[in-house]
Amino acid sequence: MRKLPVVAVREFQAAVKTKAFIFTMVAMPVIWGGMIGFQVLMRDKVDIREKRIAVLDYSPGGRLFEVIAQAANERNERDIFKGEGAERRQIKPRYLVEKAEGLPDDPLKATLALSDRVREEKLFAFLVIGPDVLDPGTDALRAGVQYHSNSPTYDDVLDWAAVKLNDRIRQLRLEALRLDPDLVRRATQRTPVANLGLVSQDAAGNIVRAEETNELANIFVPMGLMMLMFMAVMVGATPLTQSVIEEKMNRIAEVLLGSVTPFQLMFGKLIGTVGVSLTIVTFYLIGGFVAIRYSGYGQLFPAQVICWFVVFQSLAVLLYGSLFAAIGAAVSDMKEAQAIITPVMLFLVFPMLVWINVVKEPTSTLSLILSLIPSATPMLMVLRQSVPPGIPLWQPALGVVLVLITTVFCVFAAGRIFRVGILMQGRGAKVGEMLRWVVRG
Amino acid sequence: MIVVDVNNVTKTFGRHVAVDGLSLQIPAETIYGFIGPNGSGKTTTLRMIMRIYHPDKGSGHIQVFGEESFAAANDRIGYLPEERGLYKKMKVREILRFYAELKGRRDCKQAATQWLERLDLTAWADKKVETLSKGMAQRVQFISAVIHDPELVILDEPFTGLDPVNADLLRDVVLDLRRKGATIIFSTHDMNMAERMCDFVLMIFKGKKVLDGTLQSIRETYGRDTVRVRLESNGVDFARIPGVEKVTDFGRLQELRIGRQVDPQAVLSSLMERGRVMHFELAQPSLHDIFVRIAGPAAREASHA
Repeated sequence: MRKLPVVAVREFQAAVKTKAFIFTMVAMPVIWGGMIGFQVLMRDKVDIREKRIAVLDYSPGGRLFEVIAQAANERNERDIFKGEGAERRQIKPRYLVEKAEGLPDDPLKATLALSDRVREEKLFAFLVIGPDVLDPGTDALRAGVQYHSNSPTYDDVLDWAAVKLNDRIRQLRLEALRLDPDLVRRATQRTPVANLGLVSQDAAGNIVRAEETNELANIFVPMGLMMLMFMAVMVGATPLTQSVIEEKMNRIAEVLLGSVTPFQLMFGKLIGTVGVSLTIVTFYLIGGFVAIRYSGYGQLFPAQVICWFVVFQSLAVLLYGSLFAAIGAAVSDMKEAQAIITPVMLFLVFPMLVWINVVKEPTSTLSLILSLIPSATPMLMVLRQSVPPGIPLWQPALGVVLVLITTVFCVFAAGRIFRVGILMQGRGAKVGEMLRWVVRG
Repeated sequence: MIVVDVNNVTKTFGRHVAVDGLSLQIPAETIYGFIGPNGSGKTTTLRMIMRIYHPDKGSGHIQVFGEESFAAANDRIGYLPEERGLYKKMKVREILRFYAELKGRRDCKQAATQWLERLDLTAWADKKVETLSKGMAQRVQFISAVIHDPELVILDEPFTGLDPVNADLLRDVVLDLRRKGATIIFSTHDMNMAERMCDFVLMIFKGKKVLDGTLQSIRETYGRDTVRVRLESNGVDFARIPGVEKVTDFGRLQELRIGRQVDPQAVLSSLMERGRVMHFELAQPSLHDIFVRIAGPAAREASHA
């Protein structure tokens, strides 16, 4: 058994010293951080050229044009700046509103003229306010407002105008009905529904109020753990295929088999790989813990799940790693390996397809069953455990047992494929052949 | 003492019988050469001795140092397979340490330094393997097989790909190992090398043992059936001389194989009747000749028939 650590240490060093690994460990957080920073930086860097907006107001008395014009003025004075005093600078474009003359006999022609002005970039957009907006009938065109522009993805003007117009239109309608706007607002006010945890009792017997649950955190923390495990398996275990192919193609395998049995070789490599994945996990968990603490959400860190996480993580790497190693032994190059890796990848990705159902109802029967499928257990069980209030202990325990049995089987079967495949040169094995090696030994 | 004892071992791959009822015994502190054409079962036999392959169920067994299990004997063996390679990204010294540790050697720094010096690789000790030439890589591979002072060294085609200088260097090192008490098995195509180095020669042909013994005993078996002659005049049809079975024409020299029961003196007198004999030599066949006699085209045809 003393040979296992020698193989494991070499495998670990070989993996950790690669550029891909250093990239994942160091560069990824830097890149993520950089991207977030860049977005924050870019948020204020919008085009602040003024936007000219024409309003064609067919409403009775043309009163709504004034609403837009006045709102634009208020906005230009107040809402487009950031900072105070010398720091004050413009971060949003000014809106300049002009009144367009309508042609009641031929409204379409008027909109064509305005559209042409937009095409010539003399206007940014124009609004057509229908004649019946205050007292809507059945004709949607007459009762609505149309916003025309040549920038379909830019909706700031649209949203702004819609809010301003609707506020005013509602007010005018209430006035027409002689209703007190304040009374109406109070009568139709929405009642808030708070999302709380459970009330508990502390050691002194005092009843502790329930805390407001942070829905976002309750979804993102489990998701983060699952993604971390997925990533650690991907970064840690998939290179095993490459590593075994290297040993095969560079004729290293037989030299090694002069010193270790195929099973020792494979198991040593697996242990090294578990080490690699745990290195990644430790790095990110500490990073995540620091980040959460620093941002004041320390209580969200799922400390009680971490032990289980490490156990499931290690099992997942052993389970998938043994398959990837066997694939490496059975094929003759990476291209050939890709075809066989795909189905294994499907198993690996499967939890990603169902996680949202599981996280919403972690205690449902479906979630329980899904999380007991050994190939999905590591990720889904940790997912369920990290949603408060957690799940009964027997479930992860049963999961560990099932995964362990599967892992032992996979390592055993992979070991047999590995033993025959590792010395095969020139051609890859067919799936049928691999099955025969597993059965016959 | 017998270091390796192979007893009636058979190994088949599918329908192909790679090794067929092979038995051999390798005494300690000897150099044992495996010869035979490509695909005759040499490598399979060596792999079985290494426990990389296992003999067919129901066939015989293999004992190394009197043990049948792998782990017990493994660290006392050094193995250089025919298909050999190194991790490209590792440095020479790292690789040597890795292989030494695999064999249970913790402290091998001094041994590595000595070996690198002996095989003229000191300057490359801290270079990555990918920067080595093929010949250098092969020397590093050799060191990795012997760095743990094995008692049994198994070398599969150790000389292929080496230039004559390095081949001589390696030969001296192997002879040195034997002098220090190691037992050496090596397989080779190079009959000259086998002839000069081996105490025992084993020839496998189509999975079966066809020769096994000291060089001397093998030569005696194939014996004194070869004469080399040179006649003054050309144009003599040697094949018609009574008792001559085969003629190999080397131009100025003719090699005649004569029947076992034929007296060379009778051949000589027949020759003298046909012309002036300038040279007459009773020759022992070289290992090369014996090899060709067993595995040459004629033998292949015969075994196909």
